This record gives sequence, C-alpha cells and structure tokens, in this order.
Amino acid sequence: MREALRRISAIASKEFIHIRRDPRIMIAVLVMPTIQLLLFAYAISFDVSDVPTVLLDGDRTTASREYLAAYEQSDFFNVVGHVESQKAIDDAFDRSSARIAVMVRPGFGEALARGEKASVAVLVDGSEPNSAQLGQAYATALNQALGRELTFEYLERQAIDPTRAGGITPFIRTWYNPERRSADFLVPGLMVVVIMIVTVQQTAVTLVKEKEQGTFEQIIVSPIRRGELMLGKVSPWVLLGVIDMLVVTLVAIFLFGVPLRGDVLTLGVGTFLFVLCSLGIGLLVSARASSVEVANLVALLISFLPGFMLSGFAFPLHSIPRFLQVVSYAFPGRYMVTITRTVFLKGGSFSILWPEIGALALYAVVSLTLASVLYSRRPD
Amino acid sequence: MTDALDMAIDAKGLAHRFGSSVLAVDDVSFAVGAGEIFGLVGPDGAGKSTLIRMLSTVLRPSEGDADIFGASVLHKPAAVKRRIGYMSQRFSLYPDLTVTENLSFFASLRGVPRREIRPRSARLLEFAGLTEFANRQAQFLSGGMKQKLALAVTLIHEPDLLFLDEPTTGVDPVSRREFWRIIAGLHRRGITVFVATPYMDEAERCTHVAFMDGGRILFRDTPTGLKARVPGRLLEVCTKDQRKARALLGPYPWALSVTVLGEVVRLIVALDGPSELEIQALLSSAGVVTQCVRPVRVDMEATFAFLAEEARLDREVAS
Repeated sequence: MREALRRISAIASKEFIHIRRDPRIMIAVLVMPTIQLLLFAYAISFDVSDVPTVLLDGDRTTASREYLAAYEQSDFFNVVGHVESQKAIDDAFDRSSARIAVMVRPGFGEALARGEKASVAVLVDGSEPNSAQLGQAYATALNQALGRELTFEYLERQAIDPTRAGGITPFIRTWYNPERRSADFLVPGLMVVVIMIVTVQQTAVTLVKEKEQGTFEQIIVSPIRRGELMLGKVSPWVLLGVIDMLVVTLVAIFLFGVPLRGDVLTLGVGTFLFVLCSLGIGLLVSARASSVEVANLVALLISFLPGFMLSGFAFPLHSIPRFLQVVSYAFPGRYMVTITRTVFLKGGSFSILWPEIGALALYAVVSLTLASVLYSRRPD
Repeated sequence: MTDALDMAIDAKGLAHRFGSSVLAVDDVSFAVGAGEIFGLVGPDGAGKSTLIRMLSTVLRPSEGDADIFGASVLHKPAAVKRRIGYMSQRFSLYPDLTVTENLSFFASLRGVPRREIRPRSARLLEFAGLTEFANRQAQFLSGGMKQKLALAVTLIHEPDLLFLDEPTTGVDPVSRREFWRIIAGLHRRGITVFVATPYMDEAERCTHVAFMDGGRILFRDTPTGLKARVPGRLLEVCTKDQRKARALLGPYPWALSVTVLGEVVRLIVALDGPSELEIQALLSSAGVVTQCVRPVRVDMEATFAFLAEEARLDREVAS
C-alpha cells in the first residue's frame, strides 16, 4: 500500500514537471478556457448589431438631447424613430419595428444639474434574447461612459468634486421575459463545455505520448499497476481542472455578472466529479488512440460536439430528437450543466441535485475503470 | 532445483504472433546461465526485439513460456520485473526531465528506498560519466550520453539481469566502445547481460552468442565455438571489381561463402580448396585485377556470413 502510494505520487510529480516545463500546457489550461468563454459568450449573445431602436425624449433639455444623440452615433443601435409616448413604444415593439427603446424621463436635465443621479429607462424586447442581451449590454456600457462624461462636464462647470457627485443611473427593465438574461442562461452551461474541452483534450494526449516516446515500456517493466498509473496521471489534472473551473466561475461572476445564488460546496463537489469524468473520457481516448494527433482530434470531437449539442447548453434537451436524448445520457455534460444552472441561477443545493451528483460519481468510476482496463499493459 | 537458480533465462517454446498469421518469434527455446553476456545477433526483422520484449514481460508470449531466475514471465511477471532491467531499442526516457529527475522518477517507480536514491544516482552518474550533466534535460544530451543515461536508469534498482535491445545503434564508435566498457564492468560484478545487436564486433565481446533469423534461433555457442564451426580459411581479396570477383568465385564448391565487405571481397575457402596464389591466378585469367589475396583470422562477421548461408541452404534442402 505504501509502495503503491509512492508509485502514484512518483507519476503525479513527474506529470507536474511536464506541465511546468511546457508553457503551452499552462496556456491551454489557464488562459484558453477564459478566452474560449469570452469568445463563445460574445459570439453567442452578441452576434447582432444595428438593433432597431426608438428614442423617447420626455425631458427635452440640452442634456437629454446630448444623451440621446449618443445612441444615434453608435453603430450598435439603429435609431429608427423618435416617439412621443409609451404607447408608441408598445406599438413599435408589437410591430417588431424596434427592439430597444430609450426613454429619458422628465427632470433628467434638472437632476443632472443638481448633481443627483438622473434616470433613464432602457426598454428591451426580451422575446429575442440575443438582441435583447446585446442592446442591454451596450446600453449599459453607453450609459456608463456617457453618464460619467455628462456628470463630469457638468461638475467641472460647477467646480464640484466629481467623486462626490452622482451619475446617470440607467434603469433597465426587460419586457416579456423578466430575468431571462441570456448571459445568465448561457454562461453556466458554457463553463461546463469549456472545462470539458480543455480537460478531455489534455488527458487524451498524456498516455499516447508515453507510448510515442517509448517511455511506456519502461513504466511497464516497473512494478506499477494499471490503476496506480491512472491515478497518478489523473491527479495533477484534477487539481488543474478544479482551478480551471474556479477561474471560469470568477470570470462568469465578475465579467458577465452571473449571480451565484446556490450552494458553493455542491458546485465544488459537482465540479470535482465532473472533472474526473472528463479525465476518464480523456484517458479512454488515450488508451485507444494510435497517435497524439488522433488523440487530439478524437478528444475534440468527443468533447466539443456532445458538449454543445447534448448537454442542454445550447438546445434544451427536451426539444432534441428522442434518440439523441438517450445518447445525451452517455456524456457527463448534461448532468453538470444542470448542476451549474441550478446552483448559479436557482440557488439549488445538494438536496435537489443529488441525482446529478450521483450520476457524475458513477460516471467517473465507470469511465476511469474502463480506461485502465482498456489501456492494455502489453502493447503490440 | 539447483539448476534453475544458476539459470538466468530458460525459454521454452516461446512464440509471438502479430495479428493472426505473422510469426515474429517462432518456437524459440534456449537457456542463458547466470553471469553470461549473451549476445543475440541477426538481421533486422529477425525477431530479436520481440523476443527481448517477451522475456522482459513487456509483451505477452502467444505461446510458450520463459523462466527468469525461475519465475515465469507468464505467471509471475512481478517477480520477474524485480530482477530485471530493460532498455528498449529507442531512447525511452522523458526528454523534458533532467538526468537526475529521470533517475529519481524511475527509482521511485521501482521502489528504491528513498534514502538510497541520491547516493545510487550519484554512483551511477559517475559510473556512466554523466555527473557534470546531472541537471541537463535529457533532450539536450548527445546520442551516446542518452544511451548511457538509459543504461543508468535501467540499473537504478540494481537488477541481476539486463536486457539491452540494440543499445548502441546510432551511437558514435567512441561512445560504443565506452558503453561496452561499462557492460564489461557489470559483467565483472556478476550481472547477467542479454544484448541484441546488429554489430558483429559487439558479438565478439559476448561470452555466448546466438544467431537469430526468421523468428528462430539457428545456433548458439561461445564466439570461439562458433568460429570453430567454420570449416575453412578466410581470405580477403582486394580488387576494384568486387562484384565480378564475387560472381566468379561463388559457384565453386570450395567457396563456402563469398561476401563483399567495404573495399574487399571476403571468401571462405574449404580446407581442401586452392591456395591464395591459385585463386589470384584464377581471377586474373578471368580479367579481374587483384591487388592482394591474403589470409585473415576468422571473425564473427565471416562466421555469421557462413553460418547464415549454411542455414539458408539447409532450409532449401528441407523444403
């Protein structure tokens, strides 16, 4: 037993040396997931520009006109008209001639002039989450930029310390589907896909590489057992996988503002098990792949496609064909997407998520065992 | 069985199949006594690597079994592994690990006591002349140094039997000589060495030699014993027209083997065959100008050329 532990830790610390010596791995593990998350998140939710927009100036002051002019100059909003009443906004939304309406309330100019927070309403047609998400994000950004500029300009004129004054507070409300921000919906799912791609890919390569280097034969003639080799190989990646998830979670919370409402421990346990599952899949690929290239390709296919299509991340699982629904149970992504969404958005904890957690635990045991059985000790 | 204790390797009907038909090793039986340097020679594809890999538990025999110090490779691989070191044909260490890291990784894997690792590594590096490269990554070592490191790694757990698969292939002559000096040192300490090599001069340094071809061991003996099997004298014919000389001499029944080796034609003449002068006359009458025809000592190169030819003829007769 003591000897076995020693062999496992010998393998694990050797893996750490590989990781430390190869900057590409560090980049692949720590930087890539963040970049992927950013790319995917923006590509998926921000794929629209020139969102038709109507403006309602209820204040009719220089300040309000200046503020609204910024929307006309922006590439992201296509101002299709100026309206006079909320009724007109309703009409525009009903006819789908506008997806966003910006409403400056009476008193906007005065409030600014007093150095108070001035309020603006940005109305978003939530029936199309993508453009709604886009409009909202840009309106927020625009408001922040403009708000600061407007206040500062004013404050400078009045010789007041800018840090002590208020700004414009955008008052954003999504109509028709309150609280259904696409970032909230997509990012927790996306985290899962990204983690899966990275971990499967990395472990898929590790065993094949030993075979290609010829080092595998040296390992074989040592007293190490298959299970020990697998554990040693997996443990550094479990650590990296969990760190990965942590980084991505922080990005999700602080960059995309995804709320973390539920039990962090449940999320942690889920992550740990999910990473084990992904590593199991990676090792399965590695056990059978004939070269590093093949391993890479298979890993990408096996993690990327099911990750996107069969995890419920992009398409609700109940709306895909029945056959694929069944197939989706064979990939750990679906369980983990449920876990992240439930924990992040619904405030779920173990009491609700135990079936998914259990499924992941079972999956991890089965995939790792299968991998070590398939990884024949005597290669031809 | 006291016999088994003195026996390092006892192979019984070993065979290995790749796929369903190709027999890489075909019913091989032989024994290697403890303390021997046992050389396995033969052309590429003879099955040398496959045989070594079966003996070192890397590959499972399709048929037969072998005992290593009395432990079966089939049934007691763990016991076998403890006693052996195996160095595969390709350099098979971690290129991104340093010399020391490679050594201590395999030491831990092999269960070398923790406190032993440092002094043992130091001794092995000293022994292999690698001390000053201890902190260099393996990928930045020269070919000869890599092979010495690989050897040091296979020695870290102090095995009693070493399997070396073409350890000096692609290594410069100076490093080769040095490598063999190290092997001789191991031999003096009583370690059994089983080495596959394509180089005949290396076969000369072994205490016992077996010749393998077509998956079978055709004969095995001491180098002296093998050479004594050659029933003739070895002559070197210096000529520019080597191919013609060979074609001319080949058909004579007293020409037991004719081969071209570098600049010369090597000819084994049966004991009752013609003299050097007669051969020179014979060649010049056919228009082949010779600078010399001189007797040389029978070496392994010539011995194997002869024995391989012999074996080929035997097989033809049999079939």
